Amino acid sequence: MDTYSLFAGQFLPFTERYLPGGHNAVLGSGTALALRHVYKALEDSKADLAQASWDETPTGVFAQSDETAAPVLVIPKSDTENLYICFDAEASSKKIKPEQLAKKGPAKAAASGCQYVATASPSHPFDLIEKIRRGWSAAGAAYIHILCPCPVAWGFETENTVRIARMAVEARVFPLYEIAEGHYNITVEDQSPRKAADYISRQGRFSTWKKNQISVLQTQTDDKYAQLQNTAAHEIN
Amino acid sequence: MATKSSKQMTAVSKLLDRLIADGKLQAQGPEKNPLKPVWDKLICARCALCYLYCPDAAISRQEDGYFDADQELCKSCGICHRECWFGAISMQEVE
Repeated sequence: MDTYSLFAGQFLPFTERYLPGGHNAVLGSGTALALRHVYKALEDSKADLAQASWDETPTGVFAQSDETAAPVLVIPKSDTENLYICFDAEASSKKIKPEQLAKKGPAKAAASGCQYVATASPSHPFDLIEKIRRGWSAAGAAYIHILCPCPVAWGFETENTVRIARMAVEARVFPLYEIAEGHYNITVEDQSPRKAADYISRQGRFSTWKKNQISVLQTQTDDKYAQLQNTAAHEIN
Repeated sequence: MATKSSKQMTAVSKLLDRLIADGKLQAQGPEKNPLKPVWDKLICARCALCYLYCPDAAISRQEDGYFDADQELCKSCGICHRECWFGAISMQEVE
């Protein structure tokens, strides 16, 4: 290779856990992409991925809402503490409500004593990998919530998986932040955000939504983000 | 056109089933080859975005620094084609 190159992947280990044979997930699966980055992040650490297990109980402590269960990957850090990684593919039914898009998992995890809590998206891979590594090296239990778009359930073209995940961050529907030892920090912040309607209109699962539901989501998103910004500002000062 | 009732729909599906059984109608069209990503080496900047965003770990780095996809692992989702900043990847039928 040349001495000068833009090669971004050189900072990551090249080992692939999916090889040989690949996996059975649907084409363009956000969960598969996020899991690949999780494996890459933990490749250099001493994490024993063979002992990791899946927790799909709907009423667990870190369940993201009362209705749908998101699978949680539990990686043991020590005898008593775990690293929880939630792969949230959200609800697929057309009766989805604006309230269901607000994530309760991170707040629940922070309240129940996790030392490191973060939200991540596969559209920002280095951010995701950094958060997984910080969660692994944190002193106590850690929880990371990853938004994983699914082209089949959400109803969009398979090639737009990363684009939709990025749009959720840009529209502030799913803001990327971390809570390290009680200190809030917004890791990806856009000064000119997209409108929530932009994110909604590209997915088939929101096709039955009326204008008032979109405006409800917009106000809810703005409120949550203002609350988050307020908390982060006060924590720093 | 008004929406059809469920009774009418079942009648139509029964008719289609009979036609397929008689061989007068094909259930599916002729299968097309799935589109696979092809890199244009003149445009490619070797930034590895395609490698980063591939959900199937199909894309790997070659010895010359450029990238290529494993045809068996690739599921032709098209994320690499969509995410390439330079437009170096096109989806084509590969034999």
